[in-house]
Amino acid sequence: MSTPAQVWQYRTLVGNLAQRELRSRYKKSVVGWGWSLINPAVSLGIYTLVFGYFLKGTAPLAGNGQTSSFALWLFAALVVWNAFSGGINVSIQSFLGSGGLLTRTYFPPECPVVAGSTTVAIQTGLETAILLGFMTAIGNVGWTLLLVAPILVLVTALALGLGMIVSLLNVRYRDVNYLVGIGLQIMFYGTPIVYRLDLIPETIGPFDTSQVLGLNPMTHFVDGMRKVTYLQEVPTLGNWAGMLVSALLALAVGWTFFGAKAPQYIEEL
Amino acid sequence: MSKIVVDRVSKQFRLKADRAHSLKELITRRGRSRQQSHFWALKDVSLAIPEGSMYALIGHNGSGKSTLLRCIAGIYRPDGGRVTVDGRISTLLELGAGFHPDLSGRENIYLNATILGMGRKQIDAKFDEIVEFAGVEQFIDSPVKVYSTGMYVRLGFSVAVHVQPEILLIDEVIAVGDEEFQRKCFDHLYGLRRQGVTIVVVTHGLATVETMCDRAAWLDHGVLQMEGDAAKVAAAYLQRVNEREAEARDASAARPAGGHRAVEPWKDEFGKDIGITGLRYTDGDGRPVSTATAGEDLVIHIGYRASRPVQSPVFGVLIRAENGAHVTGTNTQIGGCDTGQLDGEGEVAVRFDALPLQPGYFDLTIGINDEHVQHLFDRRDREYQLIVRRGDEVPSAGLVRLDGHWSVNPRQVGNGEATGRPSPVEEHVT
Repeated sequence: MSTPAQVWQYRTLVGNLAQRELRSRYKKSVVGWGWSLINPAVSLGIYTLVFGYFLKGTAPLAGNGQTSSFALWLFAALVVWNAFSGGINVSIQSFLGSGGLLTRTYFPPECPVVAGSTTVAIQTGLETAILLGFMTAIGNVGWTLLLVAPILVLVTALALGLGMIVSLLNVRYRDVNYLVGIGLQIMFYGTPIVYRLDLIPETIGPFDTSQVLGLNPMTHFVDGMRKVTYLQEVPTLGNWAGMLVSALLALAVGWTFFGAKAPQYIEEL
Repeated sequence: MSKIVVDRVSKQFRLKADRAHSLKELITRRGRSRQQSHFWALKDVSLAIPEGSMYALIGHNGSGKSTLLRCIAGIYRPDGGRVTVDGRISTLLELGAGFHPDLSGRENIYLNATILGMGRKQIDAKFDEIVEFAGVEQFIDSPVKVYSTGMYVRLGFSVAVHVQPEILLIDEVIAVGDEEFQRKCFDHLYGLRRQGVTIVVVTHGLATVETMCDRAAWLDHGVLQMEGDAAKVAAAYLQRVNEREAEARDASAARPAGGHRAVEPWKDEFGKDIGITGLRYTDGDGRPVSTATAGEDLVIHIGYRASRPVQSPVFGVLIRAENGAHVTGTNTQIGGCDTGQLDGEGEVAVRFDALPLQPGYFDLTIGINDEHVQHLFDRRDREYQLIVRRGDEVPSAGLVRLDGHWSVNPRQVGNGEATGRPSPVEEHVT
């Protein structure tokens, strides 16, 4: 098993793999880098139209006490959701894609997954910058924006940990890739992103809705992100606990599992 | 001191069919008895590779050489035993390993060198050298997918040897480059070795093993057959190959003549009047041999069959090296032998005293011409192989042995000659 320190020694490689991924992703495309913004912009547009306009979804009042924007309220959540789903998907792709390298040369197998994670982190940074731009435009800024950083770090760690597990399993069973796709879709609607927790039924059968959704770590991430950007509030202790525990647990389990099993799985790449 | 210690290493591979590849398969196969379709790519292999040596791994295809190299590189984890490596490894295991086809040569150099553990500044410092060695200056900003195979290999090799490795592992890839590049590679490897780099190569070129390597290990079906002095191991390996080949030849000779090549020329124009029926080798004492030995007598017997009397046909032998290079040739006319009138069957033999060929593989072309060497009766183009084994002498470079007689003639001091002009040195070369 490679320790994080060993991977750190290979940071130049991680950087180069990330660069390779980014460069080859938009090679031969006219719009190029633009695609990395068009995709999230389109989904933001669709969700705003469907959930905000057709279904008359409303956003709470922003932290500045004057504005209310469903699009921005949604955008804040999508940034953190994209970091999560993108991080998991990229792990699968980058580990598979590095098969040619890993079977022919030696380097810590964590490197390509970390590199994939890095590309998503860059994308997330970009989206966050745009989000903050809009927040500034509507005059909704405050010190809580500083808390965006730890939230994004934690969601990246969560995605990396889970990504390490599924990327490895996917080498042996290609079904994993499809299961992950379905799982992410279910999780997307299992997280209060396009709807508000306070506007849905309080109970699902015998269970309390907010408690059920609280089991989903992404609920805390989305909630936390909205609080620090849109609402200008500090996330609750419960939010922090949910984010911290899920991220550290996922990373620890993922890293250990990956380290123990990767050498064996690489032979099947 | 040993740089690499391989201690009772075993590696097992599962055959593909044994593994469920989807969850459905996994579930439906449960409970069914699994057949044991494992095979051992390496079985209990132990060897120590000394620091600063050039070490060869030899054996036929599928003998486990490459698997062993990958175990040393850390790509494969052995199922038994352990590999201890002391030093920074650089590998060149496959053609274009670590290259991304869509990226330019420049980007790939950086990517590849970082995989081999170099930092950005180190690469910057070595970059020009890498490009120059590979000879791809013109194409350095083109994507590598447009590179020729040779360029791929050159670039890969160039990166691998310029990352200042302490240990260099090379799997038979250099062979893809052209002659000039191969020579450049070996020169460079030689230079690295003098700097104390430990080099492990997988190779099929026994000449490489004998001339370049200090030690060698010979693997057969994952089992270590022999380990030690490179030339000795190579000779033992070659002998085994020869024995197997001779067995195979005997087996095919035992088949009914109907399918045999020797009678086929009667169908063609070639051999209509007089044709070659076969070839056999004997040593100086007339004992049949399947291979020749460098520095020992060899007789080549050319079997013929004439369907009508032919006056003084000229029999010729042409020797080519494995790579097609023309080594030498002779015929009965050059040798001053008049074959007279030939009819029916028989043999024409040519004897080479103290065979001056270096150990290796040669191809023979046999021909029969008319007495004026104008009409070709029969010709077998590179149809016969002549394997020259190592004799008692130490092989030197090249294809043939050049017997030179050396002498040293120091200039006499105080001879009255003070012009500074060198006095003629006597030399005897035959």
